[in-house]
Amino acid sequence: MGGQACVFYGAAEFSRDTDLALLASSENLARLNEALSELKAEVIAVPPFEAKYLRKGHAVHFRCHHAEAIGMRIDVMSKMRGVDSFQRLWPRRTTISVGKTPVDLMSLPDLVQAKKTQRDKDWPMLRRLVEVNYFANRKKPTREQIRFWFLELRTPELLVELVSARKGLPAVIIRKRPLLKLVRDGNESAIAAALDDEEKLEREADREYWKPLKRELESLRHSRSSQTKD
Amino acid sequence: MISPEELVGEEWAEWYRLSPLERWRESEKLWELYFHFGGSLDIESDTQSPFFDSRTPSTRSANGRPGVRVLRRGRV
Repeated sequence: MGGQACVFYGAAEFSRDTDLALLASSENLARLNEALSELKAEVIAVPPFEAKYLRKGHAVHFRCHHAEAIGMRIDVMSKMRGVDSFQRLWPRRTTISVGKTPVDLMSLPDLVQAKKTQRDKDWPMLRRLVEVNYFANRKKPTREQIRFWFLELRTPELLVELVSARKGLPAVIIRKRPLLKLVRDGNESAIAAALDDEEKLEREADREYWKPLKRELESLRHSRSSQTKD
Repeated sequence: MISPEELVGEEWAEWYRLSPLERWRESEKLWELYFHFGGSLDIESDTQSPFFDSRTPSTRSANGRPGVRVLRRGRV
């Protein structure tokens, strides 16, 4: 769901870890455990590899020691802020074939939601992901693509182009994204300022979301270091 | 219609114009080059990540990757 999905959809990320989103069922975790054993992967840091932490929204971090993947980091998650449940993500996925191996990638709209984090590096990526999709499909877009661009484009010039090419802006869309009201006037500086505000709100929401999880991580670290000392 | 070049410049526009699978293959070439030059899979610390923990052990050697040395460096 991370760097390679971004490359596929159009942004360029040189991410050295592999992010996996999975359904945290006991059957699935047993299968993942088997695959991780083949990779000689060990859990690094906290939390431990347990379904209860994944279900709360934590990520479990692994490092591989297999000769062909030495040092590779794998992060496993099953719940992400603002992103639908795994059951909803799965039917929307993109499947590609790498050699003879099928690889399932999170759909573009889901990836865009997952990238709305508190980190600086995710925001230019997010913008590029939507731009690429817009440029590739704007001549013959589907209704779903138009809706996606209305809600997710982060480029003032393209938002103006999109709105001027359409007859009207559905009220339901404006309710979901109020800054679109500014787009009708075509004032790109005002749109850029509103996009900044939108980003700030998302980043703040992400920080708030992580606060209790970070407290829990800190407490797990503390108990682990106490156990080590004993 | 705004062209990708107007918006993001030639280099990015070229990347944008590739198909998803072409981008995937280009990325594989970059990976090969990265490993050829001794690149490591150990990730950099991301202090903005909620997972960031300065105490997490790293496999990276203190002076960078084995076999890669700085031969000349500016003052800054």
